[in-house]
Amino acid sequence: MTGAVLSYSESPDLAGEVAAAGQEVAKMLGAEAVSLELDEVSPGLLTANKVVLVKGELPLEAIADSAAAGILELVKARGFGALLIAETRFGTIVAAKVAARLRVGSLGKGKKLRVDEGRLVIERDVYGGRFTATVASRLPCVAVVQAGAYEAADASPGPAESVAVTVGEPKVAITQTKQGQQGEAGIKSALKIVSAGRGFARKEDLVIAQDLASALGASLGCSRPLSSDLGWMGEEAHIGLTGAYVHPQLYVAIGISGQLQHVAGIKDSKVIVAINKDAHAPIFQVADYGIVGDLYEVVPALTKALKQG
Amino acid sequence: MNIVVLVKSAVDEAELKADQSGHPVLKGAATKMSAFDMNGVEEAVKLKEKNGGTVIVLTLGGPEAKKAIKEAMAMGGTKAVHVLAEAADAPDSLGTAYCLAQAIKRIGAVDLVVSSEGASDTYQGEVGAMVAEFLDLPFIAYAKKVETDGVKVRCEQGLRGTVRVLEARLPAVVSVVSEANVPRYPTLLQVMVAGKKAIEDVPIASLKGPDYPDTGTVVVDVSVQSASRKRVIFDGTPEEAARKLAGALKQEGVL
Repeated sequence: MTGAVLSYSESPDLAGEVAAAGQEVAKMLGAEAVSLELDEVSPGLLTANKVVLVKGELPLEAIADSAAAGILELVKARGFGALLIAETRFGTIVAAKVAARLRVGSLGKGKKLRVDEGRLVIERDVYGGRFTATVASRLPCVAVVQAGAYEAADASPGPAESVAVTVGEPKVAITQTKQGQQGEAGIKSALKIVSAGRGFARKEDLVIAQDLASALGASLGCSRPLSSDLGWMGEEAHIGLTGAYVHPQLYVAIGISGQLQHVAGIKDSKVIVAINKDAHAPIFQVADYGIVGDLYEVVPALTKALKQG
Repeated sequence: MNIVVLVKSAVDEAELKADQSGHPVLKGAATKMSAFDMNGVEEAVKLKEKNGGTVIVLTLGGPEAKKAIKEAMAMGGTKAVHVLAEAADAPDSLGTAYCLAQAIKRIGAVDLVVSSEGASDTYQGEVGAMVAEFLDLPFIAYAKKVETDGVKVRCEQGLRGTVRVLEARLPAVVSVVSEANVPRYPTLLQVMVAGKKAIEDVPIASLKGPDYPDTGTVVVDVSVQSASRKRVIFDGTPEEAARKLAGALKQEGVL
């Protein structure tokens, strides 16, 4: 029998999704599905899987080194069929480290996992999300599960088994920690998103987008220039290839031109709305609904129209 | 201080065409240095300018990768090592990391390896971390600020809603995000000089030892994605257009 399919999420918000992915793959393999938790079982964990709590003498989740080492210790002792890790930047590094240490295949970040002739197969975005690559690897292997690719199982976890591991001192030390912006998982699981781009002239004007977001009950995101170049919003709000991949019911892009890098992160949205003064902006090519006009006039009018129902 | 910077030659994803069956036309497609690697090169060159030493540009790819190497050299690379792998021999991410690590061992006396957050074509973002594992070196990911005193490297990392300062002893591997810097544009003179700098070619087969990780990871298919969007534009005054849009969203059931 194939070893267990392990799932792990650094972010509690994505733990249910990756557990559901693990369950599906486990069923295909006729294997056991196990949700891994490091340090402590997160409250409200949605998983029908057995939970194994991996605990080290040092906090494992503090640093990717330790998280990977903790998972490795467990895997060495028990074997595994596949390891699925929820898509966060931290998770990506843990996946890479585990794959390299075990010298097993790494499928990268994707969705639609399936088993074919004893191999695990994934579909992933390549070339800025314009193409899909289907990648297969021998088992055991490691894969990163894209946020929104699986519906979180609405279930309470099975009994948690606690496993103590010994991991060495990490090679990297944290010398200082300060609180940053909102966590990256927040926007990834948002059902509605209002997103701001370079069309905004000043940081203060973002209140226009915020007003619309409030009227919709939406989260506020942005394109890369607003977080990276201008620093108007936290980098966790950045949506696109190098930021968050989102999959809301409604995505409203305001003053965003629609470069490939941004579009890569939004194309799984159900409905995309674009508001831009440039009729030739590429965002209109990927939008369901658009208004060509000055965002400073159109957005307040939309907020008003929505409030009036 | 000897710094190795990892550079990938990537297909220009915006220019890439699909053939009639929906597969990408990679033959003859335009390539360039992967956009995010420009930030890696910039950081490496900045560190060299501050601390002295050399920047060695390390690339794995086919003959077309010479273009990306020259772009990196023009930005300030001292020399270059090109692990030559034809498309048919292109390894998976783990195999790539193994070969890059082997090449770094051959270069010897490397203090710092710099990579970027991911490649602009595949954006897997794993090779830097894997190289660190193969070399058994500390790895600091997603650095937006890098400093070194020649003994330690200290980075600022914004991750999981927290900004952390991370520190490791050299030699180490660091991946930088594009917030870290603004890549320089080389002058014409720098481009011309870079064209004459020596590039050492290393056949990939010469790097593969008996411990080469053959994981059986293969790309089975690459197909174009079809985006079918409604592309309805509402006109009229801002108020009229906004009302029509609100109505459409209500009908979609997404409010």
